Amino acid sequence: MGVAIATPDLEPDLPDSRRRPSWRSVNFLPYALITPSVAVIGGVLAFPLAMLAWLSLQHYGLRELIAHQGDWVGLGNYQAILADPLFHQVIVRSLLFTLACVGLTVILSTLIALLLLKVRQAVRVLVMSSLVFVWATPVIVTVDIWQWMFDYEFGVINYVLTQIHVGNFIHHNWFDNPIQGFGVFVALVVWGAIPFVTITLFAGLLQVPADVVDAARVDGAGPWQTFRFVVAPILKPIFLIVTCLSTIWDFGVFNQIYVMLNQRPSSDYYVIAIYSYRESFGVTQYGLGAAIAVVMVLVLVIVTFFYVRETVKVAEIA
Amino acid sequence: MKLRKASSIVVSIAAAVVVAACGGSAPSTNAADQTGTLTVWLMNGSAPASVIDSVNADFKAKYPNVTVKVELQQWGDIGTKLDTAFVGSTPPDVVELGNTLVAKYAAAGALEDIGGKKSSFANSGTWLQSLTDSCTVSKKLYCVPYYAGSRAIIYRKDFFAAANVQPPDSMDGLLTVGQKLMAAHSSDPNFSALYYPGKYWYAALPFIWDFGGDIATQSGGKWQGSLNSSSSQQGLNTLTNLVTTLSRADKTGDEAKQDAAFAQGHVAMIVANGWEVGVITDKKAGDPTLTDKLGAFPIPSHNSGKTAPVFLGGSDLGVAAKSQHLALANEWVAMLTGNKHMAEMATVGGVIPNNTSMLDLGTGINATFYGAAKNSKFVPNSQNWASVENANVIPDMLVKIFTKQQNIADATKAASDRITTLLNGGG
Repeated sequence: MGVAIATPDLEPDLPDSRRRPSWRSVNFLPYALITPSVAVIGGVLAFPLAMLAWLSLQHYGLRELIAHQGDWVGLGNYQAILADPLFHQVIVRSLLFTLACVGLTVILSTLIALLLLKVRQAVRVLVMSSLVFVWATPVIVTVDIWQWMFDYEFGVINYVLTQIHVGNFIHHNWFDNPIQGFGVFVALVVWGAIPFVTITLFAGLLQVPADVVDAARVDGAGPWQTFRFVVAPILKPIFLIVTCLSTIWDFGVFNQIYVMLNQRPSSDYYVIAIYSYRESFGVTQYGLGAAIAVVMVLVLVIVTFFYVRETVKVAEIA
Repeated sequence: MKLRKASSIVVSIAAAVVVAACGGSAPSTNAADQTGTLTVWLMNGSAPASVIDSVNADFKAKYPNVTVKVELQQWGDIGTKLDTAFVGSTPPDVVELGNTLVAKYAAAGALEDIGGKKSSFANSGTWLQSLTDSCTVSKKLYCVPYYAGSRAIIYRKDFFAAANVQPPDSMDGLLTVGQKLMAAHSSDPNFSALYYPGKYWYAALPFIWDFGGDIATQSGGKWQGSLNSSSSQQGLNTLTNLVTTLSRADKTGDEAKQDAAFAQGHVAMIVANGWEVGVITDKKAGDPTLTDKLGAFPIPSHNSGKTAPVFLGGSDLGVAAKSQHLALANEWVAMLTGNKHMAEMATVGGVIPNNTSMLDLGTGINATFYGAAKNSKFVPNSQNWASVENANVIPDMLVKIFTKQQNIADATKAASDRITTLLNGGG
């Protein structure tokens, strides 16, 4: 499997130590303990990823799929997608969509988490249980409900907006204009992401020592300054983790858009996951679809690299 | 030991050949010994449940130890499901395939070549030509025609009478009639004289074809998209005008909900298949009181007095090449397409039967749809056509035109280029 495992031996190598470790002196226990996780990660992550990379270097249509034998094309698939103007649009669109979703999720979740600190116990329980309820709803069910809410003919959103005189929303199509459509999708994704991030941040907030906050107050810091210079630095590792995870999730959004648009999203609604799926299964160009997916993984690796580095730094200091 | 094994293989092959060759006349003792589970994929809405139950009852009577599992599939994502199913080692034994999808799977080797068994299927001498053509790839037969469908306009007779209009005989007439209906219902903000969801590309083809346009043309083995030709654009222009003036349907939606919308009473006309009359008047999903108020007329041509060519849709039944029960699968297909059940499909299901000998079954409102099938056309017959469908090229183009995101010239140019690439095997 070729997975490198750091040696558990933390002692620095002595220049004059030429002794070979005898079988008895090697402690196999750490290796034995880590083997199952390595095997699982290798099986469910490394192997499919390697297969994906392999597939992206081949011409692989339906005939090849049924015959289980593709044609080697080297980097041909990558050249093809990089030359495709639609691909550039999709990348930019996906990045903007992710930025909007992650930004809103983290800001709104922080506000709700701070609010939870201030409210009475009963209200807190109510809000927390609502959040867990949202979290527990399967995404397909959620999308189905949202689809009806935003329905062109029968949607409650159009009805309510018209009734409260925001404007004439009878037969208003939310997906006519892709910018408006993406507004709905950002709302849907953020709505679904808030519970996890809020609860995680709230748990972090409970760990902030009260005396530190009090000390800041005594020194004359206002609420914003207290948050900016006292609370936020303490929560930095948690912010990093939730931002990192949200980025990964939101960049790979698929179900919400695909199901909401009745499995036939127009090309204006292609984000990278949908684009990859369309090329693979819609046009049966599995090699091309795999190449798009590999690019998607690479973009995520770049985006998350900085976060991961920061996280590791923080963990080392701690 | 080896010899015994070999001889048992020979016997079972021989048995399979006998069963296949004899079709319906296999000895009942053998039939009763057959065991296993036959998986059948049919499309949602194609055959009424009563017809399927009746086929399965007949099959059970003949093969008491064989279980038939009929699984209904949705049209929306069927391409993807079929791709993955055929790649696996145990695909469904029988699959209903939209007639535009057969070429792709046949060319990829997913379907059994049933040319040698053709005569074991009822009416194979009078199968509808265009369905037989859709089953024929490189001169081999890969499926059995199942049923055909052609579209016409279903309308509300009571609305027409109240507005004092008659079914039109030209496209201009259609617009005039629609405008009068819109005027008569001006107090109803939900009213559509012609309910036309934006992605409904099957209903757009008659307009393109009627002006002499087409999706693509073939010369010298190469396909060339032609939606951007001036005649295609003329047709789309006429359609866009109708949709803008007469329809309040979702310009980004598809036709899946149009029967439910029609049944709610705010729609005067829809472009629909014959069997949709059954959905509109269904006790649960529709409104049975509309039964006497429905009429149908063919989509008129822009030339007064003529009709526009319509898309001949339909389905075929194929047997997976990897099926473990080839003989049983063919037997099930033969039963469903046999005289008894095919007649039920036509009379109960309201579809056009798979052969010309039964065309007189179309009576009443169905006669209009049967008649429309006579002036029909088909999409480019290429193994890559499925990619054009799965990539939503034409629905996307229509949405862009109807929502005014692009003008007709730009939208058709983009769609046409994409179709050229896809039909010639590119990604």
